[in-house]
Amino acid sequence: MASSNAQVKKVPPAVLRYILAIVSFAIALGLALLAQRLNFRNVEVPLFLFAVAVTAWYAGPLPAAVTVVLSILFFDYFFTEPLYTLYVTTSDIPYLIVFISFALLVAWFSTVRRRVEQDLRQARDHLQIIVEERTQQASLLNLTHDTIFVRDMNDVITYWNRGAEELYGWTPDEAIGKRSHDLLGTVFPAPIDDISAELLRAGRWEGELKHTKADGKGVVVSSRWALRRDEQQRPVGTMETNNDITERKRQEEEVRTLNRELASRSTELESKNKELEAFAYSISHDLRAPLRHMSGYAELLQKKASSVLDEKSQRYMLMILDSAKRMGNLIDDLLSFSRIGRTETQKSLVNLEQLVKEALTEIRQDTDGRNIVWNVSTLPTFYGDRSMLRLVFVNLLSNAVKFTRTRPQAEIEVGCTGGNTHEVVLYVKDNGVGFDMKYVNKLFGVFQRLHSSHTFEGTGIGLATVQRIVQRHGGRVWAESLVDKGATFYISVPMSQKNTEEKYG
Amino acid sequence: MDKVGRILMVEDDQKDVELTLTALEDYNLVNEVVVVGDGEEALDYLYCRGQFKLRTGDNPAVMLLDLKLPRVDGLEVLKQVKSDDKLKLIPVVVLTSSREEQDMVASYKLGVNGYVVKPVDFHEFVNAIKELGVYWAVINEPPPGSVKK
Repeated sequence: MASSNAQVKKVPPAVLRYILAIVSFAIALGLALLAQRLNFRNVEVPLFLFAVAVTAWYAGPLPAAVTVVLSILFFDYFFTEPLYTLYVTTSDIPYLIVFISFALLVAWFSTVRRRVEQDLRQARDHLQIIVEERTQQASLLNLTHDTIFVRDMNDVITYWNRGAEELYGWTPDEAIGKRSHDLLGTVFPAPIDDISAELLRAGRWEGELKHTKADGKGVVVSSRWALRRDEQQRPVGTMETNNDITERKRQEEEVRTLNRELASRSTELESKNKELEAFAYSISHDLRAPLRHMSGYAELLQKKASSVLDEKSQRYMLMILDSAKRMGNLIDDLLSFSRIGRTETQKSLVNLEQLVKEALTEIRQDTDGRNIVWNVSTLPTFYGDRSMLRLVFVNLLSNAVKFTRTRPQAEIEVGCTGGNTHEVVLYVKDNGVGFDMKYVNKLFGVFQRLHSSHTFEGTGIGLATVQRIVQRHGGRVWAESLVDKGATFYISVPMSQKNTEEKYG
Repeated sequence: MDKVGRILMVEDDQKDVELTLTALEDYNLVNEVVVVGDGEEALDYLYCRGQFKLRTGDNPAVMLLDLKLPRVDGLEVLKQVKSDDKLKLIPVVVLTSSREEQDMVASYKLGVNGYVVKPVDFHEFVNAIKELGVYWAVINEPPPGSVKK
C-alpha cells in the first residue's frame, strides 16, 4: 500500500522522460533498419507507432511529440523515396498525414489511458485511507468500556463493540443480525412507540432500560440513543450507548430500604416516647394526688388532735408528713430526670458564670446560715441547653453544700481546667466528707446513694440527672475523691463548631 | 372587699374538694363555693342546663379548674369557655397536680388566667388555695355579669 502511494507521487524528472522518448525512438529506428536490412517490408511504421505509444504511456504527451517528430524525420530520411534525403514528394504527403494522425491518436489514447489509470489508482488509495480510518474508529469504539451497538431502523444489530460483548456476553458474530430488543429482552420505562417518536423528533433519547444478559441475569442500564441519518436526512439507524447501573440501583434500593427501616424505627421510638410521656404524665397527676391527701389529712389530724396526742404519737405524725414530703420530692426528681430523656435539647450560647450564679441563688435555702468560702473562677461561654445545664450546676453545687455540712468552714471551688480546643472541662470541688473510690461506679446510677439518708438526705437521682444531661451534650462525667478529704466532680463537654467560633471569633 | 364573688370549683377528687374547702374555711369563702365533679357538670352549670336549669344566669367570679376530669376534661372545658362570647370573660385558674409543660402550654394557649400546681405539702397547699380564693373572690374585680353578694 505504501509503495503504491510512492509510485503515484513519484513524477519522473523531465530529463528522464525525454531520454525515454529518444531511447524508445532509437530502439524503434534500430529495429526498423535491421528489418530493412533483412528485407522485411512495411514494419517501420508500426515500430515507430509503438515507440510513440510507449513514450506517451510512460513519459507523457510532450516526449511523445518529440518521438513523433523524430520518427517523421527519420522515416522520411530512411524509408521514403528518395531515400537518405528529407525531401518530401507529393505522393508521400497522404502517407505522412496518416502516420502523423496515427501517432497523435496513439499518443492521445495513451495519455488518456494513463490519466484514467492514475485517477483510478488515486481513487483506490483514497478509498483505502477512508477504510483505514473507519477501521481505526471502529477499533476505538472497541477500546471504550461503554457498551455501544448500532442497529438499523428494524432494530437489527449492525455493530457490536467489545463493551457490549463484555456486558451482555454475546460476541459480535452472535449479536450482529439479531433484533436487539429480542436478543436483550429489553424492558422499556415507557411505551416503545412513545420512545421511538421522541427519538425521531429530537434525534436522541435517554432513559433506564432493563436487559437480560446471555447468562440469563438481569442488568439495569442507563441508555442513550442517538439517531443516525443519511444525506437525505432519512433515519437509517440508532447508536445505543449503555452503562451498567445495576450496582448503583441496588445500592439506591438498599439505601431506600434502610431509610424505610429507619423511618419505621423512629416511628416506633416515637410511639415508645409517647408511651413514656403518658406514663410520666400520669405519674405527675395521679401519684401526687394521694400523697397530697396523705399529708393533708395527717396535717389536719395533727392540728385537731395535737392536744390529746402524746409525744410519741406526735413523732409518728411527723414521720408520716416527712415521708410524704420525701415521696413528693422523689417523684419530682424522677419526673425531671425522665424529662431530660424525653425532651429535645434547645441549645443556645450560655454564659456558664451567669449560670453558676443562678444555681447559687436557687440553692440559697441550703446555704443560709452556713460558713462557705466560694471560689468561682472565670468560666467560658458554652453552646448548650440552658435549663438543663442549670440543673447540672444546681445538682453539683447543692451536693457540694450538702456534703460539707459537717465542716466548720466549707470550701467550694468551681473552675475550668485547660482542656483543649475540642472540649471544655469544668469541675466542682469541695472539702466535704468525700466517698470511697471503690463505689465510684455506683455514683451516677439512679437511686444509688453512698450515704444513708439520715446522715445526708437525698433521692439518689441528682447525679444520674447530671450524667444524663452531660451525655446529651456529648460529654462525660467522672469524680475523684478520698474519704473525708473532699470530692471533685468533673464534666467534660465537646466544644461544638459554634463554641469554637465563639472562642476565636 | 365587702362583696365576695362566687367560686366555681371543678374537681372530681372528693378528698381534694374537702382539703380545699377546709383551706377556704378560715376566710369564710366556703359558702360561695360551688363544687362540680366533672367537665360536663361544669358546662351544665355555666350554661344553666341539666341540674342547674333553675339557677340564675350570672357567671361565677372565678372558676378553679382541674385538668384531669371524667367525661369532659379540663382543657376541653377551658376551650369551650374561652370560645364562647358569653363565658370567655370568666377568669379561669387551672388548679392541677401536673407540672407537665405540655399542660401549661396548652392551658395558656387557650387563654387561661392562671395556672397553679397543687403542692404536695399541705401547708403550701393551704396557702396556695387561700391566696387564690382571696385574690379571685375578694380582691379581684370580676367582669360585669358575675355573681357578687
